[in-house]
Amino acid sequence: MMEETAKSRFSVPRIPIVGGVLSIIPGLGQVYGGFIMRGVLLFLFIASLYALSLWRMDNAGIDISTYPSYNADDLNKKQEQAFIFATLAILLTTVGYVWNIYDGYVSAGGKPSPALVPGLFITIATLIIGAHITEIDIAKAVNEIGDVSPRLKQILWPWNPDDSAFTREVETFDGVAMWETPCDDTPVKQPTHTEGESYIEIDSVCGSISGLRKPDGSRDEGTTINIKGYDFRPGEEAELVLKPGSVPEFRVVVEGERVRVIPDENGEFELSFVMPNFTIPATATTSTPVEITVRQKQEVGSLKLSEDFWLSFEGIIETLFLALMATIAGLVLAVPVSFLAARNLMSTSRITIAAYYIIRVILNVVRSIEPIVWALIAIIWVGAGPFAGVLALTIHTIASLAKLYSEAIESIDPGPIEAIQATGADRLQTIMYAVVPQVIPPFVSFTIYRWDINVRMSTIIGAVGGGGIGLVLIQWIRLAKYDSVGIAVWMIAIVVTILDYASARIREQYV
Amino acid sequence: MILNIKNLTKIYDTGTKALTDVSFDVTEGEFLVIIGLSGSGKSTLLRCINRLIDPTSGEIWFNGKDIAKAKGRQLRETRRQIGMVFQQFNLVKRSSVLTNVISGRLGYMNPMWSLTNYTPRSIRQDAMRALEKVGIPDKAYNRADELSGGQQQRVGIARALMQNPRIILADEPVASLDPVLAHSILGYLEKLNKEQGVTIICSLHYLDLVQRYATRVIGLRDGKIVYEGDNTSIRKMTDTQFKEVYGEEAQRMGSGLLGESA
Ligand SMILES: Nc1ncnc2c1ncn2[C@@H]1O[C@H](COP(=O)(O)OP(=O)(O)O)[C@@H](O)[C@H]1O
Ligand SMILES: [Mg+2]
Repeated sequence: MMEETAKSRFSVPRIPIVGGVLSIIPGLGQVYGGFIMRGVLLFLFIASLYALSLWRMDNAGIDISTYPSYNADDLNKKQEQAFIFATLAILLTTVGYVWNIYDGYVSAGGKPSPALVPGLFITIATLIIGAHITEIDIAKAVNEIGDVSPRLKQILWPWNPDDSAFTREVETFDGVAMWETPCDDTPVKQPTHTEGESYIEIDSVCGSISGLRKPDGSRDEGTTINIKGYDFRPGEEAELVLKPGSVPEFRVVVEGERVRVIPDENGEFELSFVMPNFTIPATATTSTPVEITVRQKQEVGSLKLSEDFWLSFEGIIETLFLALMATIAGLVLAVPVSFLAARNLMSTSRITIAAYYIIRVILNVVRSIEPIVWALIAIIWVGAGPFAGVLALTIHTIASLAKLYSEAIESIDPGPIEAIQATGADRLQTIMYAVVPQVIPPFVSFTIYRWDINVRMSTIIGAVGGGGIGLVLIQWIRLAKYDSVGIAVWMIAIVVTILDYASARIREQYV
Repeated sequence: MILNIKNLTKIYDTGTKALTDVSFDVTEGEFLVIIGLSGSGKSTLLRCINRLIDPTSGEIWFNGKDIAKAKGRQLRETRRQIGMVFQQFNLVKRSSVLTNVISGRLGYMNPMWSLTNYTPRSIRQDAMRALEKVGIPDKAYNRADELSGGQQQRVGIARALMQNPRIILADEPVASLDPVLAHSILGYLEKLNKEQGVTIICSLHYLDLVQRYATRVIGLRDGKIVYEGDNTSIRKMTDTQFKEVYGEEAQRMGSGLLGESA
C-alpha cells in the first residue's frame, strides 16, 4: 500500500521537528519533507478510516458524541457489533497515526521510515471496516447450508416426474350449481346435468356474502350453504371452486386450508361452507350470480413437458436471438468504426490522428460501462423487453468489437501489402488480396467470441427487464419456484456450454 | 542498358541519409549483386527502383523513361515489369499458394475482378506452370504458411514470374534460409537469368555466394558506392577490398564463408 517512496523532492532536508508537528494532520509532515505521494496516501487512509469507523457506529444508532463511554447494556446486538468493529479499526488506525507522526519527523529529515508494519495495521483496519460494511457473516453462511440444500437440490436436478418441468393431462369431474347474491325475485337458473355424471345440490339459491357492512353497522356473517354431491368417484378428493360473475374462478380457503371433501363409497358427500367475501364488480346493478363447483381431478396420460419448461425454452430462444441480433448489429457498425480506430490507417494527417484519439476515448468509455447499465438506459429509452436488451448489448458490442477489430487491423503484416503493391496491383486489388485475407479470420473469431459473451450477458440483462430467459428466471426466483429456476439454469448451462465449445472450435479453424 | 540510376539520394523522414548520390547502370541480362553491411542502404536502393520508397532526389531511367516521380497508371505499369523477392517472402500466409502466385498477375488484370473470386482459366494455368518451374506444383492448394521457408521463397519467385518481369529485385532472398536452400533458391534466379535473360539485382550477405552467382558487384557503405567490380575482379576480391565494404567485421563474416566456397 505505502511503497517506499523513492526520493524527496527537495535536495536539502527540512527541519525534522516541524515535520513531526505538521504530521498531527496525517501526511502533512511527509508533504513538507517532499514525499508528496506518501503524504497524500497517509492522509487519505487515516482520515477515511476514522471517518468510516464513526459512520459505522452512527449508522447503527450509537451516539458518537459520547464515544467510547457506553453502558454495555444500553447497546443492542447490532450496535454492540458496530462498536466492536469500529473500535478495533480505530485502535489499529491510531497505531498508524502515531507512526505517521514519527514518520513525519524522519521524512522531514529526508529519510522516511519503512512503511511495512504500519501499512499492515492500516490494511487490517481497512479490512475490518470492509467486513462490517459488507456484513460479512461466515457463521450465517455455515449455519444456513443445511436449510438451503433441499432448494439447491431442486435447482441442480429439476427433472423428477413431480417437479414443475412435467405435467400430466388432467381430466376434471365437476358438479355445478348456481347461487346469487343478493336475493331477488327471479331465482337463478340451475344447470342441467347429464345422467350418470356427477352433480351437486345446494340448499339455498341466494343469500349474502360474508364481511359486508350491514345497515346496523355489524358485519354480515355470510350465508351458510350446504351441498350434497352425487355420482362422484368414491374415495377421491374433490375441492370447492367459486366463480362469481365476471370475477376469475378461485378456490375457497378457510383458515389457510382449501375446502375439500372425500366422497363415500357411493360417490356421495355432504359439505357446508360460508359464502366468502369477494369483490362484486362495481357495475353490478342486479344480483351477481355465483357458480359453485365441486371438482374432482384425475391425472391421465403420460408425463408431458410443463408450461414452465416451455417458458424456459422460449426464453432461451429469445436470449439466443437477442444475442445474435446484438452481435450482428454490433458487427455491422463496428467494422467502419474499427477502421477509424486503427492507428496504422489513421496516422496520415493531423485531423485523422485527432479523430483516432477521439474515437478511441469514446470506445473506451462506452466499453467501460457495463452492459447491465446500458440495459437500464435502454429500458428507460424503449421500455422493458427484448428490444431494450438488444440495444444495450449492441452498444456494448460495437465498442468492444471495434476495439478488437482495430487491433487486428493494426497488427496486420505490412510485408504482403508491399509485395502485392510491388506487382503493380492497384489499391483495391491490394486491399482484396493482402488486407482482407489478413483481417477476415480475426474478425470472424472475435465476432463468434462476442456472440458467446452476448448470450451470457443477455441472461443477466434479462433479469433487469431486457427480455429473454433472465426475465423468467428472476420471476421464479422471487416466487421461490426453485424447480422452475432449475429448468432455466439447466437451459442456460446447456446452451452456454454448447456455444462455448462451438465457438472454440470455429475459432481454432481461423486463428 | 535496361536501368540507369543517376545521383539517387534518399533521406528518410527521421533524417537518416540512407542513400547519397548513388549512380550506376545495369545492362540487360546481368546478375548484379549489391553487398554491404546491414544498414548500408541495400534495401533502400532496391525499394527505390520499384518505388516502394519515394527517392528524395535523383533519376531512375527504365525503358527510356525516368520513373523516379512516376505515379498512378505509369507507376503500376512499370512495377509489373519488375518482380520482387523478399527476405521474409512476404506471402499472404492465410491464402493458398496458388492465390499468392496469381497475385503476381494483378498488374495486368482489371481491378474489378478482385472483388469476385474469379480468375480466368488461362491465368490459373500460368500460375500452375510457374509453380512447376519452381518445383512445387503439388503445393498449389496448401495454405502458404504450411510451407517450409525454402518452399515459401519458391512461391515468392513464382509470384514474380507471373509478372513476366524484365528485372527481378531480390532483397537478401536467402538470408532467412540455410546454405543448401540458399543455393537452390539462387539457382532458380540464375536459371531465369541465363535461360530467359531476366536481369537480376540481388543483395547478398555472403562472399562465397557473391563469387558464385554475380556477374557484377556493387558495394555500398553508409549509402555510398564504395566498390564496383565485374565477374573476374569479384573472384580476385581481396580481404582489404572486402573490408572496405564490410568494415572491421569483415574478418568474422568472411572467414567461414571463404571456407565454404572452397
Ligand atoms: N523506414 C525507414 N525510416 C527511417 N529510416 C530507415 C527506414 N528504413 C531504413 N532506414 C535507415 O536507413 C538506413 C539504410 O537502411 P536499409 O536500406 O534497410 O539498409 P540495409 O538493407 O542495407 O540493411 C539505415 O540506417 C536504416 O536505419
Ligand atoms: Mg535490408
